[in-house]
Amino acid sequence: MKNYSERIMKFIFAMSAAASTVAVAIICIFLVYKGVPAIREIGLGDFLLGSTWKPTEGEFGIFPMIVGSIYVTAGAMVLGVPVGVLCAVFMARFCPRGLYKIFKPAVELLAGIPSIVYGFFGLMVIVPLMQNVIGGSGKSVLTASVLLAIMILPTVISVAESALRAVPESYYEGSLALGATHERSVFFTVIPAAKSGILAGVILGIGRAIGETMAVVMVAGNQAAVPTSLMSGVRTMTANIVLEMGYAGEGLHRNALIATAVVLFVFILIINLSFSMLKREG
Amino acid sequence: MKKAAVLILTLILAVLQAGCAARQDDRINVISREAGSGTRDAFTELTGIKKDGTDNTVMTSEITSSTFVVIKSVSVDKNAIGYASLGTLSDNVKALSIDGIKPTAENIKNRTYPLIRTFNIIDTGALSRQAEDFVQYIMSSQGAEIIEGQGYVPFAQGQEYHIKEDMEGRIVIAGSTSVAPLIDVIADEYKKIYPDVEIEIQQTGSGAGITSTIEGACDLGISSRELKEEERLKGARETTVALDGIVVIVNLQNTTDGLSTEEVRQIFTGKRKAWKS
Repeated sequence: MKNYSERIMKFIFAMSAAASTVAVAIICIFLVYKGVPAIREIGLGDFLLGSTWKPTEGEFGIFPMIVGSIYVTAGAMVLGVPVGVLCAVFMARFCPRGLYKIFKPAVELLAGIPSIVYGFFGLMVIVPLMQNVIGGSGKSVLTASVLLAIMILPTVISVAESALRAVPESYYEGSLALGATHERSVFFTVIPAAKSGILAGVILGIGRAIGETMAVVMVAGNQAAVPTSLMSGVRTMTANIVLEMGYAGEGLHRNALIATAVVLFVFILIINLSFSMLKREG
Repeated sequence: MKKAAVLILTLILAVLQAGCAARQDDRINVISREAGSGTRDAFTELTGIKKDGTDNTVMTSEITSSTFVVIKSVSVDKNAIGYASLGTLSDNVKALSIDGIKPTAENIKNRTYPLIRTFNIIDTGALSRQAEDFVQYIMSSQGAEIIEGQGYVPFAQGQEYHIKEDMEGRIVIAGSTSVAPLIDVIADEYKKIYPDVEIEIQQTGSGAGITSTIEGACDLGISSRELKEEERLKGARETTVALDGIVVIVNLQNTTDGLSTEEVRQIFTGKRKAWKS
């Protein structure tokens, strides 16, 4: 009897352990199975570097979307990373205990807000604000970057904060003992020591930004053309998929969208690889 | 340090000035729907934006994924122009006359308004008893009354509907996001008559709805465009339920009251770029 239940439990544990790996494998197989033939049919060069996306007329160039994803993610990094890292430094080294009790849950709450809510917020608040300040339609690379910058804050802050806290106290104390001020010690000993951890937070932030969909769709304008300035609209790869999936029907159009997902998947793969390489170093 | 401060200040001023200049502009901001949307298909075909199978919507137009976002975007942008179904319109945008004809239920009924499309129910001929009865109800005079109450124009003045005995079961409906709100209201009335009937409506878009009907994944499809030839060949057939007007909408601050079909086409194909021509 005991042996029997032992075996059942063993099986259950093995299944649970394999679940996520199996899921990833199935997703990979699905993407390759559906996406690669589509890429082959369109032609890798025409698909990746073609600048016209007119699925109803058989033109499937996703270059504008690749550029769009990179622009928006880069914008979010430029705006969000300094704020996030400085916030983490503040929370780890400067924050009074009373204030920390408000800051920490606030950051955690920010991470828990569903992205569609961010989208609504962007459409109702940031878009009209951009119209009033800058003019134009208000839906642009800049608007999407600002919204994404807010969305990646919790990722950057929490990873960077724990990296800063993991730095041995002796580094900080040693710096103080050499006559450096509190600020100098934090910025010139603790932060360099936590460098790889902070970078890991930034990379996770990039992953979040490039994969974000619902919020970006609502504020980016979604023109399938390479943006010419910060104020022009932009369509990201994720937006391209979600916009047209419902209507695409069977055939090359749908498979081209899945192929877009393959490209996105490759991007995420690169980001994850650099993340794990960084972790090995740190 | 001082130099940097001056530089930053100049930069801010420059941006603000550019902002002001941009704000006074008169440029038309075109808002469209995603490729494959039933509303976009109907709109581009009716206005001649789509010609010989080529959709000439200007590449710089904003693309939105739902009627809600189109209306919301137009309501906050005084340079915007967009389009939406008559039944989904709200007061925070202005509906334009087309060729001098106002988009009202009256003008759609007598077919003088130029941008009219049909709402269709799709099936393959093999219907469950409850699904067939539900279609009968939609096409009846009671159904027509509900359709009219929702701001659409019933296609046919149907027969009176008679209540049947022991109607029960499930009806799965899938398709157009434009037609779904209307069918939803009719389904609620229908369920009041038959509490044992369960109706599930999936908003997947016209194309996907037709596909799942052909594949047998749902009982009925709903579509805001007519069937394509290849869909007919796969056994789908349509029943026109209602007429809907596609309304061209602008911001409430916009002084334009009407456009001609030709002007609409020029704006949406990017030939005309400013409100004052």
